[in-house]
Amino acid sequence: MMATIGSGLVAEGISLGFGGLQVLSDVSLTLKPGVITGLIGPNGAGKTSLFNCLTGLYHGQRGHSSFAGTPLDGMGPAQRAACGITRSFQNLAMCPELSLLENVLVGLTLKRRSGWFSAFVPTPAQQAEREDTERRAMAALSELGIASAAHHKPSDLPPGTLRLAEIARAIASEPRAILLDEPAAGLNAVETRDLMRALKRLMRPDLVLLVVEHDMDLIMELCEHIYVLNFGRMIANGTPAEIRAHPDVIRVYLGDDADD
Amino acid sequence: MAVSELAHGTKAGVSARNGNVDAARLSIFALVAALALLPLLAGGFLLYSLSLCFANALAVLSVSMLVRYGGEVSIGHSFFVALGAYAVAIVEHRLGLSIAVSLPLAVLLGAIAGFVFAFPSRRLSGIYLAVATMALALALPEILIGFEKFTGGFEGLYIAQDLIPGISKALQRYYVALVLLVVVCLALSHFRKSAQGLALLMAQAQPRAAEAMGITRSWARVSIFTLSAALASLAGAMTGFASSTVSPNSFTFFSGVFLLVGSVVSLNRLSLPAALVGGAFITLVPTYLAKAGDWVPILYGVALIVVTLAANAGDLRRFLPRRRGR
Repeated sequence: MMATIGSGLVAEGISLGFGGLQVLSDVSLTLKPGVITGLIGPNGAGKTSLFNCLTGLYHGQRGHSSFAGTPLDGMGPAQRAACGITRSFQNLAMCPELSLLENVLVGLTLKRRSGWFSAFVPTPAQQAEREDTERRAMAALSELGIASAAHHKPSDLPPGTLRLAEIARAIASEPRAILLDEPAAGLNAVETRDLMRALKRLMRPDLVLLVVEHDMDLIMELCEHIYVLNFGRMIANGTPAEIRAHPDVIRVYLGDDADD
Repeated sequence: MAVSELAHGTKAGVSARNGNVDAARLSIFALVAALALLPLLAGGFLLYSLSLCFANALAVLSVSMLVRYGGEVSIGHSFFVALGAYAVAIVEHRLGLSIAVSLPLAVLLGAIAGFVFAFPSRRLSGIYLAVATMALALALPEILIGFEKFTGGFEGLYIAQDLIPGISKALQRYYVALVLLVVVCLALSHFRKSAQGLALLMAQAQPRAAEAMGITRSWARVSIFTLSAALASLAGAMTGFASSTVSPNSFTFFSGVFLLVGSVVSLNRLSLPAALVGGAFITLVPTYLAKAGDWVPILYGVALIVVTLAANAGDLRRFLPRRRGR
């Protein structure tokens, strides 16, 4: 199969194993711009492994990936970030020493131009850049409704707020692809609703957005296209309605319920 | 904030915290003013000791900077300190130029040497990096004695040139070192808010997340080591200037260990008061412990083991009072 040129983030035939354990077998997916794509599967299905292959943390033993026609094979996370791919982390990845605003500012590192001299000596250009990046970081925090927490340390804030801040950090750099790893983990019902609203609001026609979740309801409501992973194999993909009616998905997800 | 950092505005929005920051700035300003006026009252040995203390405070800051922004421990920073000190001495002896020329040169040389060391060791961390830096500290005395033609061998070299003609040597040493120390502390406080400073802190706390934001570990390691070595070299230039002499005696293996101990004593902080505490510790303790003789290396050794193990486990900071203000 030829990789689809120029359309979003594409992974073709990814296989990944650790020692004797095959985690992913011949997995393919296409994340189209302008569509919120979901990736679901039970615990241990290989969601995070696939996610890490897409972000460059792992490299599949087989398969290829590309973004907007550019091959990503062999690129590490930092190079993929430079291509405009950003991600959030399942385990909150905040620097405890920095305020929430500063944590979001780090997400803008690649956008900053000030050199080493102005890191030590204040210059007007650096000052202007700092104001500009702070404005953008604050805008990202506002978009997720947590601007009031900007100057607090992560240790003073509830996990829900930190989760939203991770997404704020991902969107602050105005990426072309956002990959979210279990964004609703640890959120209460109200926070989850806020998160879904925020994600729908930030959707743009040229943005690739992938949400990895095991919360079926959230994915069904949020996503327009869904991939289902089980035991390292892609067992189904389609619209929420198609996924709901797919026999394999029903067996994996609802099978136990049907027996009860 | 217990010992408040120099001008670390947190923009807290909380008025109590702002009050603390203002009080901290005021007390640091008072400290600088007191140090600036001190030569009116005191002289001689006290001023000489304080000049050395300022120079050593800069060296302690260079080690603390590596700990704070890189999470790494160096036992060999005496190498870069010696590089700066000898740069000043050799430039004076060979070219007849004062520190106006040799100081920037020392910083540049320190940065180059730091980069040359850090680039091949960019994948090392923790105890492995510490041991690699130890090699620098061990090689240093041999290098100094081996290149006798330039370094003056065992006897070392004198540094006699003034920076500002017409002012007494004691006052020059004192004020040049003090001004540099204050400037470096201000620069470091600015650095904490810079894009590079934030990126380094993130790379240290969350290496994977930092990588996903385009901040690679190699970049972080090489940059912080280069910066830290440049600062150590600046400190060395000041040590040479403040003591008017350089010799291999000042740069033994234990000087590197002692710098690290000085950094720990100042709780790895990058503020002016902390740097002064660390600088005073490594300037004064050898003087007072001279009578203790055999106990000195044992003290160093114990301190080294504690620091290396604690820092390698990433547990060093857990023993320190948590600073919420930064």
